[in-house]
Amino acid sequence: MRQGFRQSMAWLHTWSGLVVGWVLFAIFVTGTASYYRTEISRWMRPELTAATADPARSADMAAAYLKRQMPDAAGWYVELPRPETPLIEVHWWKSLEGPFHNALLDPATGAPSTARATKGGDFLYRFHFELGMPPTVGRWIVGLCALVLLVSLMSGIVTHRRIFADFFTFRRGARTTQRRWLDAHNVVGVLALPFHLMIVYTGLVTLAPMLMPWGLVAAYRAEAPRFYVEAGLMADMRAPAGRPGTLAPLGPMVAQAIARQGEAPEAFAVYNPGDAAATAVATFEEPHGLAHQHPQITFDGETGAILGTAGMAPTRAASTTSTVMVGIHEAHFAGSALRLLFVLCGVMGAATVGTGLVLWGVARAPKGAEPAGLGLRLVRILNLGTIAGLPLGIAAFFLANRLLPPDLPARADWEIRIFFGAWALAALAGALRPQDRAWREGLGLAALAYLAVPLVGLATVGRSPVPAFDIAMVAVALLFGCAAYKAGRSPLGARAARPAQDLSGEEALRA
Amino acid sequence: MNPVVLGLNLALCFSGLAALALSLDRHHRDAFLRRVPPGRARSLRAAGWAGIGLSLAAAIALEGWNFGPVQWIGALTGGALLVVAFLSYRPGWLRPAALAALPLALLALPLALKG
Amino acid sequence: MGARQERWSGPAYRFGVAGRVVLASLGSYVVASLLTALLSLTLPLVRSEAVTAATLLSFLVITLLALYVFAARSLGRAALTLGLVGLALAAALWLAGGFSAPGPAA
Repeated sequence: MRQGFRQSMAWLHTWSGLVVGWVLFAIFVTGTASYYRTEISRWMRPELTAATADPARSADMAAAYLKRQMPDAAGWYVELPRPETPLIEVHWWKSLEGPFHNALLDPATGAPSTARATKGGDFLYRFHFELGMPPTVGRWIVGLCALVLLVSLMSGIVTHRRIFADFFTFRRGARTTQRRWLDAHNVVGVLALPFHLMIVYTGLVTLAPMLMPWGLVAAYRAEAPRFYVEAGLMADMRAPAGRPGTLAPLGPMVAQAIARQGEAPEAFAVYNPGDAAATAVATFEEPHGLAHQHPQITFDGETGAILGTAGMAPTRAASTTSTVMVGIHEAHFAGSALRLLFVLCGVMGAATVGTGLVLWGVARAPKGAEPAGLGLRLVRILNLGTIAGLPLGIAAFFLANRLLPPDLPARADWEIRIFFGAWALAALAGALRPQDRAWREGLGLAALAYLAVPLVGLATVGRSPVPAFDIAMVAVALLFGCAAYKAGRSPLGARAARPAQDLSGEEALRA
Repeated sequence: MNPVVLGLNLALCFSGLAALALSLDRHHRDAFLRRVPPGRARSLRAAGWAGIGLSLAAAIALEGWNFGPVQWIGALTGGALLVVAFLSYRPGWLRPAALAALPLALLALPLALKG
Repeated sequence: MGARQERWSGPAYRFGVAGRVVLASLGSYVVASLLTALLSLTLPLVRSEAVTAATLLSFLVITLLALYVFAARSLGRAALTLGLVGLALAAALWLAGGFSAPGPAA
């Protein structure tokens, strides 16, 4: 939008980053937390005791429960218990448009679990790509923000002229506040650039069927499911026969699946369970590898005979590329050490967005005693409300999990209400306080809240079900404590006394 | 997916990137309070790229073609972050730390091969 | 409306920015969609592979088109380029049978 290619790209980087920055920050933070989705869920259900459950028996118990709930469903989906998740999770639906129902069953009794009701880590995981909105709306917004981030990353690379010369440069003692923030933005942005590019592109690929369905539509018209079958990703489904049938017991099918594959399936689905042409599908954990590709065995629901398999043979080049992209995004393959590096990169992603947002404000701070304009004030409020407010909301979510009475009606929803409520309150309080104090208080409050999580856990349920989670909470608390201390020592407002010379945002970016 | 291999990668990447950073005038001045002599810059740069290359080779040799590169890129980011942290807070410690990382990598190698 | 006339503020500048935002989002998406559909029908690969390859590529196409829209000398020029490319792709897609009624299952 300005003269010259680099100037246009600097302009684009500045403004595209700003408009989606707050959403991106939330996506990065909740996405990073999702690397530990299972551990978070486990921590949030302290009543569970580690137990090995028989998968075949679990499947039968799930079927008995689902038959009572919705015998004529379009589909049942049963997540079988695993050592780290000793629960049977069942889902059922009448139509693919929803609503989707779900319940947790105790694998010992087959009755609904008595563990406290919570969405657990799944809430943060779904927030990562649905933002707590209706799925389609949320995913479109996240998809659009991801596209804008891709544009912003590419224009940022073009803008950053001395990307290699400044590779390691973080001038803590730089003359201007703006220069320090710019260095910080560059360091976290550039050092984790391979991760940033990878995570946004592979993230788009996970949403591709919704964001870019036109290739599929052009080539397959109305028979889209054929695509997944031909790509070798999904088993061929039978159309319902239209007359009622009797579903064979699931237990023997699970036993057959175990005999054939040498391991228990992680999930067992039944499509059209009340129909004569019911199809059951056993889905196994991804084999060791980067690709996100689950082996499957399909069964005739009436006879229990094996119909076929999918996802077992190697796929062709493009399909493999696509499944590897999704696999790398989810990082299920990563062991604990590598996962920690992914988390570090995720934090750097959030930091890149956060420093970029703050930099926008710092670069436009009025000189001397001039009052800040409306736009700047709004950006500052949103910055504080997101960067300190969202983490505070997540801490409140964890605290609510320990403090709400276990038998409260709609308990899982209350946890989520408290998450949004705490976030909104933090943002509102930050908006009413003077800038510098608001940062120190917001970050300090977040530090205290995270510190409180393990303590409240100790006081309410005793020994933590996941000690590593508590250690992580203390680490996060320390991080926010440091940030609060820094914000107290060199407040953002210091630039009023030490004005950002004569650099405008874009010029600073180009410098 | 072996944490020892990741440690080995991290150590090699850190040493290599530290050498690359010290081959630049600005950072050499931070660490040694003088500009980098031209001959020194060349050898540092060579050592740096060798360390990074060695790390990639080790990652692929020990983790295979699919996990190796992923792990290597992760280690590069982690190593670079360490270098920046040293340069910002304790520039004088960068060279000893980078040198200390090399025997660590060497020690990790037999463990990684066994694991 | 050339870049030389685009001011740093004022209605003309604002119109230019708004126009580019609309063109970069909707225009890029439409052109990338046409290209994805065309490649899905014409790439010399198995049907599912052509669709997957074209879809994987589409996000890069959108991004590059959006960057072009903001780098172009003027809004009119960007709109003209995207329009012509889009028309050419649409014509090719029509020739490839992309707009005809659903035929028998291939």
